[in-house]
Amino acid sequence: MATTTGSGISAAAPPARAPRTPSGNSTRTFNIVCGVVLGVFAVVWLIPSLWAIKTSFTTNAVSALGTPAILKDTSPTLASYLALLEGGDIWNWYLASFLTSAITVVLTVVFASMAGYALSRLRFRGRNVVFGVMLLGIMIPGQVLIVPIFEGLGAVHLLNTYWAVILPQVPAVIAVFVFKQFFDGLPVELEEAARLDGAGYWRIYRSVIMPLSKPVISAMGILTFVNVWNNLLLPLFVVSNPKLMTIPVGLATVQGSFGQRYSDIQASSLLGALPLVILFLIFQRRIVEGVAGTGLKG
Amino acid sequence: MSTQTTTSAGAVSLAARGGARPRYADNKPAWLFLAPFVLFFALFLVVPTIYMAISSFFNTSIAKSGLGSFAGFANYQEMLTKREFWDDMWHTLQFTLYTVPPLVVLAFVFAVLANRVRRGQWFFRLAFFVPFILPSATISLIWVFIYAPGNGLFAQIQTWLGNAAPTPVLADPKTAMVGVAIATLWWTIGFNFILYLAGLQDIPRELYEAAAIDGTTPWQQIRYITIPLLSRTTSLIIVLQIIASLKIFDQVYLMTSGGPGTSTQTAIGLITNTAFTDFRSGAASAAAVLLFIVILAIAAIRQLIERNQERTA
Amino acid sequence: MNSHPPTPPARGVLSRRNLLRGGLAAGGLGLVAATAGCGSPLAAGLAGSQLDPGTVTFWNLFGGGDGARLQTMLDEYRQQQSRPDSLVAATFAWGNPYYTKVSLATIGDQPPDVAVAHLTRAANLAQAGLLTPITEDMLSTVGLTSADFNQKVWAAQKVNDQDWTVPLDTHPFVMFYNVDVCQKAGLLDGEGKLKPIQGVEEWEAALKAAKQATGGLGLSVANVNEFATPWRFFQTLYSQQEGATDFLSDGGTKITFNEDLTAKTLEYIQKLANDGLISKAADYAGSQTDMFTGKSAFYLQGEWEITTAQGIKDLKFGMVPVPTVFDKPAAQADSHTFVLPKMERSPEQVQRAMGFIKSMLDQSMTWAAGGHVPAYLPTLDSDEYKALEPQADYASAADVAVYDAPAWYSGSGSNFENIVGAQIGLVQQGLSSPSAAISSIRSQLQSYASTANPL
Repeated sequence: MATTTGSGISAAAPPARAPRTPSGNSTRTFNIVCGVVLGVFAVVWLIPSLWAIKTSFTTNAVSALGTPAILKDTSPTLASYLALLEGGDIWNWYLASFLTSAITVVLTVVFASMAGYALSRLRFRGRNVVFGVMLLGIMIPGQVLIVPIFEGLGAVHLLNTYWAVILPQVPAVIAVFVFKQFFDGLPVELEEAARLDGAGYWRIYRSVIMPLSKPVISAMGILTFVNVWNNLLLPLFVVSNPKLMTIPVGLATVQGSFGQRYSDIQASSLLGALPLVILFLIFQRRIVEGVAGTGLKG
Repeated sequence: MSTQTTTSAGAVSLAARGGARPRYADNKPAWLFLAPFVLFFALFLVVPTIYMAISSFFNTSIAKSGLGSFAGFANYQEMLTKREFWDDMWHTLQFTLYTVPPLVVLAFVFAVLANRVRRGQWFFRLAFFVPFILPSATISLIWVFIYAPGNGLFAQIQTWLGNAAPTPVLADPKTAMVGVAIATLWWTIGFNFILYLAGLQDIPRELYEAAAIDGTTPWQQIRYITIPLLSRTTSLIIVLQIIASLKIFDQVYLMTSGGPGTSTQTAIGLITNTAFTDFRSGAASAAAVLLFIVILAIAAIRQLIERNQERTA
Repeated sequence: MNSHPPTPPARGVLSRRNLLRGGLAAGGLGLVAATAGCGSPLAAGLAGSQLDPGTVTFWNLFGGGDGARLQTMLDEYRQQQSRPDSLVAATFAWGNPYYTKVSLATIGDQPPDVAVAHLTRAANLAQAGLLTPITEDMLSTVGLTSADFNQKVWAAQKVNDQDWTVPLDTHPFVMFYNVDVCQKAGLLDGEGKLKPIQGVEEWEAALKAAKQATGGLGLSVANVNEFATPWRFFQTLYSQQEGATDFLSDGGTKITFNEDLTAKTLEYIQKLANDGLISKAADYAGSQTDMFTGKSAFYLQGEWEITTAQGIKDLKFGMVPVPTVFDKPAAQADSHTFVLPKMERSPEQVQRAMGFIKSMLDQSMTWAAGGHVPAYLPTLDSDEYKALEPQADYASAADVAVYDAPAWYSGSGSNFENIVGAQIGLVQQGLSSPSAAISSIRSQLQSYASTANPL
């Protein structure tokens, strides 16, 4: 559910770089001060994550004793992680999160790029109406529709299936606009050449447009993946069975039976985030550019 | 912020590009290309919106099939006269007031600082941006643990600073929303940080160079060049943040379940409780329609502001 | 933590298999769909097939000490079945979130075979058409009859003359006392047990003596950040008086509490708090700590806190029913019950579900150790239970249990308890007058009472 629209730089903009001012001593000093201040903030920002990581490597018995005990603990252990990975539930949650995210990505990217192509390149009656309705659609807050969507899925007996999580998230209107915008910027000549060769629209879309659109496909794909993976509201209500839950819902609703298990809890929350961190490390630039370019926000 | 001109420019470029082909040459293929997306759009956005509007006039129950008996405006009347509804709206506003200023100011400061630092960009991105892509469930579990009463990290730091009996942040109606807001600030600042960084790149370097030759200090450059030229980004961020606040659910559900009492319950929480705990999906729909109207109004105001800025730019 | 796929015997194998499954899914969905078993999450998630056929799925809301005891009982069941995969259990967060999950799962065609529900909430689930009724035939398949249960509980769970639950226990509101402090206050008998307290005079005298002995409070009872406890406290005192009527009637469409008696009870609570005989402002944990540390002699709460109290080093404590301060004994209470969420069930599935319930009932003694009064008579009447201390000392409270009045918005952890409890808490704190609290309660309940029952 892409919920907000935004404007932004083109998806292919270069990464940020410092403005090159004439090097004066005062400017250089100023820049160093900037770096130090920012560094302090960055460290503060890292503390919560580091604290969670540190805790996850202690035993439940240690973390139950509170902050000083966790700080003093010098024998890191994987016990919590091993217990979780052996426990079973988390694998089902990974499976649900992975499948729902991946299938949604495929459907969203294919359908949104097709729609974006039509809006960018084809001339047809009703184009402006479609455009207008889509623009309105971009403003519809998906979360607000949770009740009718639940009832609709119930009516067709799709509750407690992965499809209940996937289907409502496919129509991400923002994706259509991002694709359209990207296609608008592609040169028409290639297409014209293909058309002269007798290629139909489908072939042009598939063999000319799509291969040229890899940057925007991967940006939209990754952002959709992250959004679906992180969605809580929809799967929280449409999936009730612990075995079919996605990671966030599992983390939020299923509790173990033994009181305060801080280490286990932190380990499970980090395990739930791990695939996204890996994704970020691999596709850092794409994700950042995608966010800057679309304002897509979960 | 240069390409949000899709509406007008799209049509223009199309007309300019196509040349000789007739206006409606592609009717059939175009609709075939649109069909799958439009189908999903209709099924999961349009139909639910209409159904929601209809069922808001009925005593619809989630446990029963069908719309239930006709209620007229009773659901709306109930919501608009119910203290809970206004309380929850107020909590939503409270959350907005707590989060918007720091999210704008800090993100701006971070971006301006980062833009001046040549090395270690990856480090700042990691620190500020990674939390943004993490699930709300992870964020909430981390912060609930930090806020743990008695011996959590936050309480412990207060103890070291000399506060012998720190109040448990999330257990006190006065501070619970602040606690949620701090976690949210930590979580989402990376998004605004990136938007500001992107905005900074759009500022022509020559402006700074000219200013530097005129002998301005870095402070003056920020004051007279950066801030005014980023005003569009700022208004975008503010509106996005207000809309996001109206739809806040995850953090509250996960960190406080709307408590203590109902001191952090917000609009979406009220809607889901009414629908899924009380089974009253008709009444929930009325609340959702009201929220929907507020969000649309804000989005519309944003469009107006943006158009205004485009005109003046 | 036990809901792993059915077949593989060893846990290490299981993880690898799942890992492999995840990897395969990345490669080709079709392949995985073909290889994954029929009852697997994959098949259920994509094709909507039934999860875990041949096993019992069991959902509950037990955390803390209850959760630990339940785990023991579940392990015992698995042993009896000599198949570790015969049971898939899941524990959810207590209160409304749990009932929401059970309801939505049932509406969404994937309910558990057996779920735990409070008696007062089961009535609502039954009315909503979300439960399968329990018949004598079903009970007899595992050698049970309705006569095997505490008849007060059995009668309370009836809705529309049908039975909807198999009760496990009763959990009344009781009084804990600190033995050392009470000793000092001269409130104990020769055997070191609390002397019976009966009537307003004895009650206040005991509280005064206790207050003197502690130098702090006589009794602590939670009312800050807590709604259920003030309600339980009030309902207990209110129901002890002649003329007390149900708070709600006709399924919640009428508000029928006795206003004079309610005012009188609230004034009494406020007076006790103002005199420092009971706590004015204590949260759930704080009210316990007061008694554990001797800042108060008595502490009112559900009996399940026995596990917490037993964990406190060097604490000597006892438990008794809340004294009969007014005309007749009464104690606010609820029961944990087993329910069968509505779904198509084969005779084998019914048999399995009932077999599981029977196994839990047979282990009522383990459950009773956590404080709850068994509803299963063979345990309740056993010599073993009668010898269990301090459990046996307050078991009689279950006989005078007062359940919350039935309404679609009432029951344990419900909106009703939240609304009423919040106001009572304010009265106890001295932040609201009894009359203001009553009018606030009335107006808030009125909006529910006048709303058409959505069930």
